[in-house]
Amino acid sequence: MSRVDVRSRNNVVVVGQPHGPTVLLAHGFGCDQNLWRLVVPALAERFRVVLFDHVGAGKSDLSAWSPERYSTLDGYALDVLDICAELDLRDVVLVGHSVSAMIAVLAANRDRSRIAKLVLVTPSPCYVDDGDYRGGFSRADIDELLDSLDSNYLGWSATMAPVIMGNPDRPELGEELAESFCRTDPAIARTFAQVTFLSDNRDDLADVEVPTLVLQCAHDAIAPPSVGRFVTERIRGSELVTLDATGHCPQLSAPEATVAAVVAFAETGVR
Amino acid sequence: MRREAGDDLTGRDDEVPRPGTSDPAFSALLEDSAEDLYEHAPCGYLSTLMDGTIAKINTTLLGWLGHHRDDLVGRRRFVDLLTVGGRIYHETHIAPMLGMHGAIGGLALELRRADGSRLPVMVTSVVKTGPDGTAQLVRTTIFDARDRRAYERELLRARQEADRDRERVQKLATTLQRTLLPPRLSTVPGMDVAAYYHPASADEVGGDFYDLFPLAGGTWGFFLGDVSGKGAPAAAITSLTRYTLRAAAASDPDPITVLRVLNTVLHHEYNGTDPRFCTVLYGVLTPTADGCAIEMATGGHPPAALLRADGGAEFVDIPGGQLVGALPDAHFAGTRVRMSPGDTIMLYTDGLTEARTRGRVRHNEEELLEFLATVGPTTATGAVAAVTGLLRRFGEGVDDDTALLALSLPVGTARP
Amino acid sequence: MTDHLTVTTRPITGGTVLEFAGRLDAVTSPGALRTIGGLALHRGQRLVLDLTRLDFCDSSGISVLITARSTALAAEAALALVAVPRGLRGMLARTGLDAVFPIYPTLARLEESWVPRP
Repeated sequence: MSRVDVRSRNNVVVVGQPHGPTVLLAHGFGCDQNLWRLVVPALAERFRVVLFDHVGAGKSDLSAWSPERYSTLDGYALDVLDICAELDLRDVVLVGHSVSAMIAVLAANRDRSRIAKLVLVTPSPCYVDDGDYRGGFSRADIDELLDSLDSNYLGWSATMAPVIMGNPDRPELGEELAESFCRTDPAIARTFAQVTFLSDNRDDLADVEVPTLVLQCAHDAIAPPSVGRFVTERIRGSELVTLDATGHCPQLSAPEATVAAVVAFAETGVR
Repeated sequence: MRREAGDDLTGRDDEVPRPGTSDPAFSALLEDSAEDLYEHAPCGYLSTLMDGTIAKINTTLLGWLGHHRDDLVGRRRFVDLLTVGGRIYHETHIAPMLGMHGAIGGLALELRRADGSRLPVMVTSVVKTGPDGTAQLVRTTIFDARDRRAYERELLRARQEADRDRERVQKLATTLQRTLLPPRLSTVPGMDVAAYYHPASADEVGGDFYDLFPLAGGTWGFFLGDVSGKGAPAAAITSLTRYTLRAAAASDPDPITVLRVLNTVLHHEYNGTDPRFCTVLYGVLTPTADGCAIEMATGGHPPAALLRADGGAEFVDIPGGQLVGALPDAHFAGTRVRMSPGDTIMLYTDGLTEARTRGRVRHNEEELLEFLATVGPTTATGAVAAVTGLLRRFGEGVDDDTALLALSLPVGTARP
Repeated sequence: MTDHLTVTTRPITGGTVLEFAGRLDAVTSPGALRTIGGLALHRGQRLVLDLTRLDFCDSSGISVLITARSTALAAEAALALVAVPRGLRGMLARTGLDAVFPIYPTLARLEESWVPRP
C-alpha cells in the first residue's frame, strides 16, 4: 500500500495559534478553502486553524480523485479523518459549511476519538423534498442544476470560461490565488454536485453524540430556516443560531457574526 | 476654420445635417442618449444591493422578462429571477466569486420570465465600491443568449456523442479481442492451466494470441504468439493465424509442419509491400505414465520457460526458428520437453518484438528468468499470478500487449 | 532522441546506401517503404541499409527491412545491413532473420568484402 500524502492531496494549510484549540474548516460545494478567508484572521487569533481543499477543488491533488471513493459523502468524510490523523488533531471543533456540514456529521459519527464539537454552517441533510420533509428542491430542480453546470463547464473547457476579472481594489489577492479560487475540475464538480444534492443523511443526524451548533442564515435560497430547525431537532442537545444574513455563505456575508458564533460555541466548556 | 458663406464654389450649401458638435439636432440626439441608452440598450442592465435586492433594472430587461418595474425593484432579489439550478450555482459559486474578485463574467444562466418560460442569458457582474472601498452595489449586464445557447447545446450534444462513440469503439475492440482469444481455457485432465491477456490500449485490438485445444488420441495442442502491428490489420492476421493453426493441427499435429502451413498461408496472403508476420510457439502435449511429453516448435518467438519441481528455472531454447509469414521458405525448429509432477511451463509475449535499440531494455528474457527462479516451484496459476504481479509493478509503463499461457503438472498427479 | 525518421539516400559504387536516422516504427515506416519503393535497383547491384543512427525499431521496422530485402531480391540485387544496433541484432537473432540479412559492423568492412559481380 502506498502511503497517501494527505497534506498535498487536500492542500492542508495550518495557521493561527500552534498550541491553541483546533478549529478545522471544511468548505462546501462550488468553492475551496478561500471561502473562509474573511473569518480566518479573527479565528487565528484564538485557535489553531486548519484549512483544506476537498479533492477536486482548489489546489487539491486532482489525480487523487476516483469515482469509487468520491461517489458518496463517506469518501470525503474519510479525507477529513485522514487529515485529523495526519496532523494528529485531537478535540477538534469541526466546522463544515453547506455539504461539508453532512461530511462533518459522517466524520464525527465514524470516529469519535478526535472530533469534540461540530459547527454546521447552513446545513441540509437532504436537499430534495420527500413526503412531509421539505428540503427545498425537487429532483427536477437538481437535474436543472446539473444542466446549468454542464452549460457553464462547456464554457470552461473552451475559450469562453467565466472570466475572473482583475480586481484593482484588492491588490492583496495574489494572482495565483485569483487563478485558483473556486476552480474545480468540471467532471469532478459534476459528480460532487450529484453527491451533494442527491444525498440523504437525515438518519445520520440522530447518531451525532458531540455538542453541535447549527448556524443558519435568515434568508438562504439553498438551506431554508426550516431545514436548519429540522437538523437541530434531530441532533440531541444541539443549538441553533440564526444569523440575520442573506445567502448561503454567512462566512462571506456576515463574517463577524459567524466568527462570534463559532468562538462562543467553541470556547464553552472547553478546558 | 470657418468658411464664409459665398466662398462655396460648388454653389451647394449644407442641406443635410452632418454629424458635428455644431449641429443642434445631432447634439440633442446625444444629450438624451445616456438615459435612453440605459433603458433601451440592446442588453439588460440590473443593479442589485449587496443582499441581492433589485435596485434598478432597465426597460430592455423588463421587456425580456415580462415583469413590471414595481414588481421587482425593492421587492425581489436577483436569485429570484434565476431557475432553481442557477440559484444553487449562484449561491455556491457565483456569489463567492463575486465577493472575492469584485467581478465575474461569461456566466451562462437562465432567467425565469413572468410567463414561466426560460430565457438563456450570458451574465457579467461588477461590484461597485464607494470611496471608502466598501461594496455598494452589484452591476450586472445581461445578454440574450438564445442563439448561442442553442449552438452550445449542439456542441455539448456533439461532445456527448463523441464520448459515446469512443465508448462504442472500446467496447467493439474488447469484443473483437475476445473473439481472438479462447473464451475459456479448456480443462486438461490432471493439469493446471492458466492464461492472462492484457491489451496495451482499450481503443485498439492487440496482436497477441493464444489457445489450448484437444487433439486426437488424448493429446492437446497449444500455441501463443504475437502478430506484427496493431489494430484492425493485426486483428485480421490474428484471426487468420489462429484458425490456420487450429486447422493445420487437426490435419497434421507435427509442430514444424503446422508452422510451415501457417507460413505458407500468411506469406500468400501478405506478399505485398507490407509484410504481415507473427512469432509463435506451437506445441503438442501428450500425457505419459510419469507426467507428460511436449513437442514444441518455434517461429521466432521468445523461448518458453520451464519452472522445475526443484525450484530451478530454465528456457526451452530452440535455435533456428524463423519469423512466420515473412519469408517464403522460412525455416522452423523444434524440440522435445518432458514434464514431471511439480513442473510448470510458461509461454509469454512481453513486447520483445518492440526492441529499444539503445538504453536499458525494460525487462529482457534474462531478467524474466531470474524472476521466475524466485517463483518456482509453483503451478500454472501461481506462475501467471506472479508474472502479472510483476507486470503490475511496471504499472503504466507497460505500453505493449502481454499474453501468458502456463501449464503445470501438480505434485502427486503422476498417472498410474 | 528524435520522434521521427530521416532517410538519406546516397549512391555508392554499384548501388545505393539508405541511412535510417531516428525511429523506425508504425508512424515512420510508411515513409521508409515509399523511399524503398522508389529506388531504381538493377541486377547485380547492392542496397545497403546503414543503421548507425537508428534509435528505435519495432515490428513495423522489421517489416521495412523484410520489404527492402524482397525489393532487392526481386531486382536480383543484394541487400546488406550495416551497423545494426545491439537490441535490433538480438531481435533479428531471435526471429531467425540474422540468417537472411548479411550484416556488417561498418561500411568500411562492407566495402572490404564487396566483390562486384562481373
